[in-house]
Amino acid sequence: MLSNAIGIIQDNWLLLLIGQYPNGPLGGVAATLLLSVLAILLAFPFSVLVALARLSHLWALRIPATALVYGVRGIPLLMIIFWVYFMFPLLFGISVPGFATMLCTLVLYEGAFLSEVVRAGITALPAGQMDAARALGHSYGSAMRFVILPQALVNMLPSILSQFVSTIQDTTLGYVINVPELTFAANQINNRLLTKPFEVFLILALTYYAICFSLTQLASWLERSIATRRAGPAMPKLVLAQ
Amino acid sequence: MIKFQAVNKFYGDYCALADINENVAKGEVVVVCGPSGSGKSTLIRTVNRLEEIQSGEVLFNGRNVHARIKSAELNRLRSQIGFVFQSFNLFPHLSALDNVILSPWRVNAVSRAEARDRAMALLDRVGLANRALSYPAQLSGGQQQRVAIARALAMEPPAMLFDEPTSALDPEMVGEVLAVMRSLAKDGMTMMCVTHEMGFARDVADRVWFMDAGRILETGTPVEFFGAPQHPRAQRFLSDLRSH
Repeated sequence: MLSNAIGIIQDNWLLLLIGQYPNGPLGGVAATLLLSVLAILLAFPFSVLVALARLSHLWALRIPATALVYGVRGIPLLMIIFWVYFMFPLLFGISVPGFATMLCTLVLYEGAFLSEVVRAGITALPAGQMDAARALGHSYGSAMRFVILPQALVNMLPSILSQFVSTIQDTTLGYVINVPELTFAANQINNRLLTKPFEVFLILALTYYAICFSLTQLASWLERSIATRRAGPAMPKLVLAQ
Repeated sequence: MIKFQAVNKFYGDYCALADINENVAKGEVVVVCGPSGSGKSTLIRTVNRLEEIQSGEVLFNGRNVHARIKSAELNRLRSQIGFVFQSFNLFPHLSALDNVILSPWRVNAVSRAEARDRAMALLDRVGLANRALSYPAQLSGGQQQRVAIARALAMEPPAMLFDEPTSALDPEMVGEVLAVMRSLAKDGMTMMCVTHEMGFARDVADRVWFMDAGRILETGTPVEFFGAPQHPRAQRFLSDLRSH
């Protein structure tokens, strides 16, 4: 079985890595990572805006943002994928490639979850930080930009990285609308071989595991180093040096 | 310079401030004292509207801080009122220097280079020029509070408010903070200080206000207040202080 698996990798490693590129669309691990990175990069500013709207005193901002977050959290990702996939061409009269559909869906979905992380990061800061900024004459926006968000976002880095790991796992659902990513590539191989599904999907699982495990390790390392930084490092060394 | 007119504040039925009518004149140093929960901190926080009030007016240089004013106008008023917190509230992601630079630079649109020069001068004034690049977590409580004073002074406020500035400090660090406050008072700064440091009140204050249960029960010079307090509650407060 192991030799089977190794054989499959030897025959198909390029397909697993980059899909049919350059003869076809980019696929495999490369497409999965590209999709995840783009999704989280776009979802992040979106989530900050949603979080700020959720915390706003203006109901015209707060209510739609809250509705969006509760709506998205209450619907399975697959439903949203179908909605975007089928509704977009109907509403706008243009057909959107699978990759773009999946990207839009992920930005919406991960953004809604991430906005709760951002909101928690903002509200977790001591109230004295906002008080101090306001007492110095900062407007709400200026206090957010220079005092609150820089602290909250650094504190949230590990959670953002965890959300990135979830995003990578969620890209597998792109399979149902034929997005040529890693799961899609594995399924192509399986359809060709027909008799070795266990090996093929074991390889697939191990690949996801390797990517996600290293990222969760990175997240916990980040968490530790932020905790050390917060505790106030380097002070004894400085004193000694003086 | 700071004028309270018929100020009332309630939390539900609980009366946090009751009919406050007092003035702080330009150049005057007022110490507000009284037992815990008497409304001292609430009172001082109404001056820059960190606390809202239900009725009355708080005037700063003739402007009612609690009027229906544009937020830009309120921000401008706040920037002219230096405020020092019990818990310092330095911005932990910025060095001491950047804590002092941030607001003149971003609020008053002073150039960063100029703000930096002034910040260094202020840190020097509070005795911390050599710690300018340290982060708050690397500073002792007393040092943090002195940076916080420098940060407030950077806005060049005509008045400074101190909300129990030494209450969160280890005893050996109280002196360094009080020394900075004394030197400010000597330079003619208008100051309103909530503090339990009766020695400071005796030496530096022009007037002492005694509060209990949201009311100012007695005001007087330190000599009058500490020598011959009139109100029975003030007499009990002072004898409790002396008994330990």
